[in-house]
Amino acid sequence: MNYPVWDLTTFGGGFLIALVAVVHVLVSHFAVGGGAFLVLLEGKAYRQDNADLLDYVKKHSKFFMLLTMVFGGITGVGIWWTIALLNPAATSALIHIFVFGWAAEWVFFVVEIVSLFIYFYTFDKMERKSHMLVGWIYFISAWMSLFLINGIIDFMLTPGAWLDNHSFWSGFFNPTFWPALVFRTGISLVLCGVFGFVTAAFLNKPRLRQELMRTCAIWVTAPFVLMLAGGWWYFQVLPEPIQAMILTKSPEMGAYLQTLLWFLPLLFIAALFMALRLPQAVQKGCCFFIIAIALIYFGAFEFIREGARRPFIIHDHMYSNQVYLTDLPQIEKAGFLATARWTSKKKVDPANLLASGQELFKLQCSACHSIGGPLNNIKPLVKKYADAFGMDAMLNGLGKLNNYMPHFLGNRQERWALANYIVKEINGVDDPATGQPAVDMEEQSITIPKFAGAAAEYVLLAWNSTGMHSFSDSSPYWSLMPPGNTIYAQLVKRGDSPEIVTAGVDISYAPEPDFEHPEQQIQFWDFAPQLLGLDLIPGVGTAGKRVSGTMSLDQDRRAFLARDIPLVPYPAEGDYNPYPLLTITARDQASGQILATTRMVAPTATEMGCNNCHGGGWKVNGIAGMTATTSLDILATHDKNSGTDLVKRAQNGEPMLCQSCHADPLLGTQGKPGLLNFSAAIHGWHANFLTDREGSTACSSCHPSRADGPTRFFRSHHSQFMDCTNCHGTMEDHAISLLKQEQSAGKTAANRLLANLSPRNAASVAAIKPRTPWVNLPDCLNCHEDFQMGMSVDAFNTWTAASTDLYRNRRDQMDAMMCEACHSSPHAVYPATFNVLGSSRDSIQPLQYQGNDRPIGNDCTVCHTVQPEFEGHHPNSLRQ
Amino acid sequence: MNPAALIPTADVIPVPWGWFYALLMVTFLLHILVMNAMLGGGIIALISTFKGGEKNLLVSREFSYKWPYTIAFAVNMGVAPLLFVQVLYGQFIYTSSILMATWWLSIIVLLILAYYGAYIYDFKYNALGGLRIFMLEFSVGLLLIIAFFFSNNMTLMIEPERWQAYFQTANGSLLNLVAPSLLPRYLHFVIGAVAIAGLYLAFIGHFNLIKSKIDRPTLIAKGMTYFTLATGVQILAGVWFLLALPQPIKTQFLGGNAYATLLLISGVLLALVALYHGHRQRPIATGVTALLLLVAMILLRDLVRVFSLQPYFHPSDLTTHNEYSPLIFFLAVFVIGLTLIGYLLKLAISCRKEVTK
Repeated sequence: MNYPVWDLTTFGGGFLIALVAVVHVLVSHFAVGGGAFLVLLEGKAYRQDNADLLDYVKKHSKFFMLLTMVFGGITGVGIWWTIALLNPAATSALIHIFVFGWAAEWVFFVVEIVSLFIYFYTFDKMERKSHMLVGWIYFISAWMSLFLINGIIDFMLTPGAWLDNHSFWSGFFNPTFWPALVFRTGISLVLCGVFGFVTAAFLNKPRLRQELMRTCAIWVTAPFVLMLAGGWWYFQVLPEPIQAMILTKSPEMGAYLQTLLWFLPLLFIAALFMALRLPQAVQKGCCFFIIAIALIYFGAFEFIREGARRPFIIHDHMYSNQVYLTDLPQIEKAGFLATARWTSKKKVDPANLLASGQELFKLQCSACHSIGGPLNNIKPLVKKYADAFGMDAMLNGLGKLNNYMPHFLGNRQERWALANYIVKEINGVDDPATGQPAVDMEEQSITIPKFAGAAAEYVLLAWNSTGMHSFSDSSPYWSLMPPGNTIYAQLVKRGDSPEIVTAGVDISYAPEPDFEHPEQQIQFWDFAPQLLGLDLIPGVGTAGKRVSGTMSLDQDRRAFLARDIPLVPYPAEGDYNPYPLLTITARDQASGQILATTRMVAPTATEMGCNNCHGGGWKVNGIAGMTATTSLDILATHDKNSGTDLVKRAQNGEPMLCQSCHADPLLGTQGKPGLLNFSAAIHGWHANFLTDREGSTACSSCHPSRADGPTRFFRSHHSQFMDCTNCHGTMEDHAISLLKQEQSAGKTAANRLLANLSPRNAASVAAIKPRTPWVNLPDCLNCHEDFQMGMSVDAFNTWTAASTDLYRNRRDQMDAMMCEACHSSPHAVYPATFNVLGSSRDSIQPLQYQGNDRPIGNDCTVCHTVQPEFEGHHPNSLRQ
Repeated sequence: MNPAALIPTADVIPVPWGWFYALLMVTFLLHILVMNAMLGGGIIALISTFKGGEKNLLVSREFSYKWPYTIAFAVNMGVAPLLFVQVLYGQFIYTSSILMATWWLSIIVLLILAYYGAYIYDFKYNALGGLRIFMLEFSVGLLLIIAFFFSNNMTLMIEPERWQAYFQTANGSLLNLVAPSLLPRYLHFVIGAVAIAGLYLAFIGHFNLIKSKIDRPTLIAKGMTYFTLATGVQILAGVWFLLALPQPIKTQFLGGNAYATLLLISGVLLALVALYHGHRQRPIATGVTALLLLVAMILLRDLVRVFSLQPYFHPSDLTTHNEYSPLIFFLAVFVIGLTLIGYLLKLAISCRKEVTK
């Protein structure tokens, strides 16, 4: 950053330039076409020997002179002054690159003024032919001004070969030069008809007035062909990314395009209307209306042309905020403030956090954003950020997925300073940096069921398959997962050679009384038909199970299974408890006699951190659940970025399941062809906003794994020396692995999400192995080679080959016990003493059967009445 | 903070700096001539109206016809030097303009108002009657304010030492009021404008371009008197300006730098000669001397800038891209433009003669 920034706040965001430019372009184009209008009408008056018409031309030339030379001339200089104040770097670039273009334009400006004065002051005094010649000289000089400025203006949008060769001529005769010249010539002719209405309407000679209204109508409508052809050609020659910016990418463009599409035909129709025989009073009023229509139409065009350039002021050369592309490496290396000349804050420190943030806003944002002003007001755009974390994430992802804005330029501290300034000073949040507050969960005592030890006949093992079932609890708006906790049980008949019992027994499950009626806690059942196409009886889960019932036999795995039981983390009295307990009972089928009883935790969470960035806070006790505000903001963001109408659908009572469009192996949905699968989409998108985060902070921004949160779902001893990223990779690496798989499946959407992601713990993107979510996952044996003590904590990037290989689906080497039966669920493998509700909660069965919190089989006599001599389950299983 | 650290990096220029220097000096001379006629003419018209009496009123009426042209050409002729000064000194003038952005941008609005005021004064001269003087005060007042902003910016751009003030006031409301040379510089320009405008009126008389009912000798006499009086006062203002310059710069003009000193001496001598011719009421001789004087003054003014910026920059430091074809294109356009203007003026003059016949 080379130049100081004029601190305008309210009137920032390009308001001044828009104000000056829109009025100037209207008058300046009139100044071009108006020359031809005057001379041609003058000639007509001579031919027809029409003194009245000649008198009109003279009067019109006075109006023309006063409007174009005074207002047009000075506002033209005004644009130059304004851009030099608002964007001196770009102005300087244009002045230096095109100095002789400007100088030549100045010569024509002089000729224009001389000829116009002579034309006006010698009316009726000069020989007719010479007088008309003076008029033509005026017109040609004015058109040459247009010719020259057109080249420079279009250079900003399409610099073309200039970017490589820095040649004046390449920049001037850039790709859009000729089409824009045709378009602008057309519009300048249209405008002289538009302004002609004004002087004509005030004529008091009815016949002449009527005749002139028709003439002006022809002047407006006939050049439409030229204007439209030029406009069409103009658009066609634009490079594809610029076309996309106009049509789809830019959020503000829609309104301007709409305006253009309405006001273009309106101008045509209004001109035809003016040709009708109307009372003079109507003509007088309407002539100003038609100027207003032309102003709005042309203003919309100019806004589109300017907007199409985003995020650049000179395409592919300089950003709108005056930063040269070539300066980016230096800024990345040294920081933005350190490389900016005009700031007194050279480095962010705790004492100057907000002041630095303000400085960064002024230097980087104020070129396009006002604070509370009429143009590009920043306030509504950042309103949802009540927390610097979310704002910081937004800045982190800025310009990466939608390139209508530049990336945030600067280092982490600078980004954090800017986020704090925006949230605190612009958004008025008193304490912006709190993040989510630490949650103290009250320990809940539990009763460990009794085990008869050597006298016991059966050992009943039960567990949850994934270690945590998160669901969004946002059913009225959308759902990314219905409630549904899948549990397994295996019943072992103790003995010298223990047997797995799969016949003649019923295994039932039941929650604590507080959790018996999930249908009274969440609205899922009201919307299940829309979300899932299922008409579920309230309280019944998607696989037909209630929160209590009998488990089904999974013959292949020699286990009992209850799929998707709709437990919710909300006990009846209204609190958040992500670890409800189930009592599992095995009964003899014939006699009904209880064979064994145990208890298990069925983890289920609604602590999805969407509100960290999407606003809205928590729905339940300030710690969990999705509010309407959060839910709708997510949909609005999706609608904005993907052109969907999810907000409208939700408001019409038709919420959608994310995975109905985005395929998901876990839910078994196929999604829409071409769209990314759900995991790739959601991680790929958000990874762009959560780069370079320490440890697992990116993960816990969304998942219920925050170390001081209410769920803390990583409960095993591994949590003491590892975090999510050891197995799943950093946010970037994780996303890359998912996106690469989609990319190789030919889904081009992955390219956009991948474009700005850099691998963290891999040498390159190529080094990260693609994976399908829920199928290719890290495995315990990545570290625990041959079931030995793990010597590494790096399980990332080696994936299971198929879902049958997943830890949760695998069995021991005898195909007898499931891994999870003895080691418990992923994220809570024994010893799992770090449950936020109490150290015993995830260890009920080891405590029940062994009196310790180690994996089941420590010792072997839990099931084996005689100590086994060989390692039947897996190598190293007899380790003491 | 070191002022040098605040100076933005300059952009590359297409041809060696000397070209732009020459263009800047020539076009600035053109601008200053027309600007002086515009501003000084307005002041003379105002003084004449105040003084009253038939002849004085005719002077102001005569100028009313010319005022809109002079504004148009003052703006028009200002574009080129502003362009070339941005090429050579962009990093300075963009910066100083931003520091005083509110005032600087207000010039556009003030100018439009002054311009329309001048047109009203001309087109509605008779209809305005007693309100005429208010219209005149209005436009002249605005032009004087504009001139004051210009003096502020032209001094602020060459004094990076004063740019620190931005860190207290970033809203564009700074002026360079603390500069000791601001007021004498401003006066020097305004008084000079009155002198040149006097000469301009005398020329209108001398070449019989009169449109009002004033007679030639009166207009010439009035014009020459304004020139002579203003030039007399101007010498005093010039001395004040010189003395108000910072010591290191002053020293250069007072013997420290031979070229600067010689130029200053020639300026003073030319002023005395012009004063003499003016007193003798000789428009042509005075005109020629005054033109030379203006050239000397413009070169002196440039030297003040060069000396002020000496610790930081000289245009010869600029990197050159060496692309000559656009320059050739411009020179060709310039020749075509001059030819066209010549032709247009010929048409205008011949038609004027026809009418006179």
